Amino acid sequence: MSRKIRLLYMEGVSPLRSQTVYHAVGYAMKQDTPNTIIMVAPNAPYVCVGYHQDLQKEVDLDYCAAHGLPVYRREVGGGAVFLDNGQLFTQWIFHKEDLPASLEERFKLYIDPLVATYHELGIPAKLRPINDVHVNGKKIGGTGAAQMGIAEILVGSLMYTFDKKTMSKVLKVPSEKMRDKIFESLEAYMTTMTEQLGSTPDRVAVKDLYIKKVAEALGAEIYEGEWNPEEEVMAKEIDARFLSDEWLYQKGQLRQQGVKIHQDVHIVETAFKAQGGLIRVIARLTEGRIDDVTLSGDFTLLPSFALGALEQSLRGIAATPESLKSKIEEAYYRLQIQSPGVTPADFTIAIMNAVRLPQPA
Amino acid sequence: MIYYGCDIPENLYYDIERDVWIRFEDNVAVLGMTDLAQTRCGKFTALSFRDVGKVVQQGKALATIESAKWVGAFPAPFTCEIVETNEKGFTKNILLANKEPYTTGWLVKVRPTNLENERAHLVTGEAATEKYKERIQELKINCLRCID
Repeated sequence: MSRKIRLLYMEGVSPLRSQTVYHAVGYAMKQDTPNTIIMVAPNAPYVCVGYHQDLQKEVDLDYCAAHGLPVYRREVGGGAVFLDNGQLFTQWIFHKEDLPASLEERFKLYIDPLVATYHELGIPAKLRPINDVHVNGKKIGGTGAAQMGIAEILVGSLMYTFDKKTMSKVLKVPSEKMRDKIFESLEAYMTTMTEQLGSTPDRVAVKDLYIKKVAEALGAEIYEGEWNPEEEVMAKEIDARFLSDEWLYQKGQLRQQGVKIHQDVHIVETAFKAQGGLIRVIARLTEGRIDDVTLSGDFTLLPSFALGALEQSLRGIAATPESLKSKIEEAYYRLQIQSPGVTPADFTIAIMNAVRLPQPA
Repeated sequence: MIYYGCDIPENLYYDIERDVWIRFEDNVAVLGMTDLAQTRCGKFTALSFRDVGKVVQQGKALATIESAKWVGAFPAPFTCEIVETNEKGFTKNILLANKEPYTTGWLVKVRPTNLENERAHLVTGEAATEKYKERIQELKINCLRCID
């Protein structure tokens, strides 16, 4: 690897540019372009969707329009996210031969300096493979990667704050219950520097600390460099593409369903038509167990308190048909549940349909 | 040949730099990711194909793959027209290429449009396995397949 890395420090750019800058450096990269790190924060909030997402299915566009939130599609994977000035994005645009061949090792190389920065600030962060950063089981920022032209890109952030309420509002979800569950899960499973430290650390100090940690990790000199005219031309082209309806509304193709909170936590919603009515299931899965489940629908179930008790009895159990059916049958017997046309086997199928959905990346 | 867990069938052609395998069938070529490529990429989470009928230049994307939040191209080993994609197979199981990269996990069928001038870099048989041995050592990769 070249021992010199160019740093582009861009606090306070437009939301659009906070995304297009790393695409521009990537696509403009030539053999003699230095490996580059961009540290950038937007001057206003916005929503950003993953490359393969179907915008109209994933984002509440009416909410975004009503609140003046622009929406952009990035060329990096993952899900829709609400972003604002509370995050300092750290974007690496490197020659592929200067990064490990395997994605897992590549993410480790990228995440280690983030973790070291948090540690020096007094936050016990650690890498949660493949590509999360966790603090005591809570996620503090996500990461992503892409190939653009001859460049390999890694992106992530240093998270000062994160507006969880707005995050839960910008997503298009099948029900308000699901939205409540997402907000509750973000509260339970995401954290920030401000939450961890009780106050927001100085941004320039955090930037300098991060650069020091990257230089140590890569054994490289990092110098503050210039954005060149070719990159500006490329950025303008990408700005135009990102603003076009053709790009923004391109249909997502083959993609997994559900909302990922972090590497171990996913929320899924499904419906199953039983003879006695429709069963809706919202399930939160944590490391293969049902961490939380909400059952609803147009079926009849008596006594009236039993549905809540049934949900409660399923928390923490392994997400397998056998354990579910056994637990549901036990609750039916214990609570003397009557549910015409809906059996324990129906609830088991409904929940397993949710559990078996492929988990989002 | 199986080397560090990586299966490199000797009857196929390879574009080693782009990590693409090629099986020529009359005037059509079936293309897919090698075992090494699917291992490096990791589990597919999303996939989008370019349209059937589109002519794709050598090195440009025939499909875009997403895995573990990485997005990248499945590149054309030579200039070609897309005649079929395996969208049906990947709709049923997004992990097809992670499980069976050389059979059901094929990605696209193409009609080469300039093969005579663009095939010099393709290798097969023992030449391919020897080159892949070097590449696997250089990249320090052990191949893995998905079971489910």
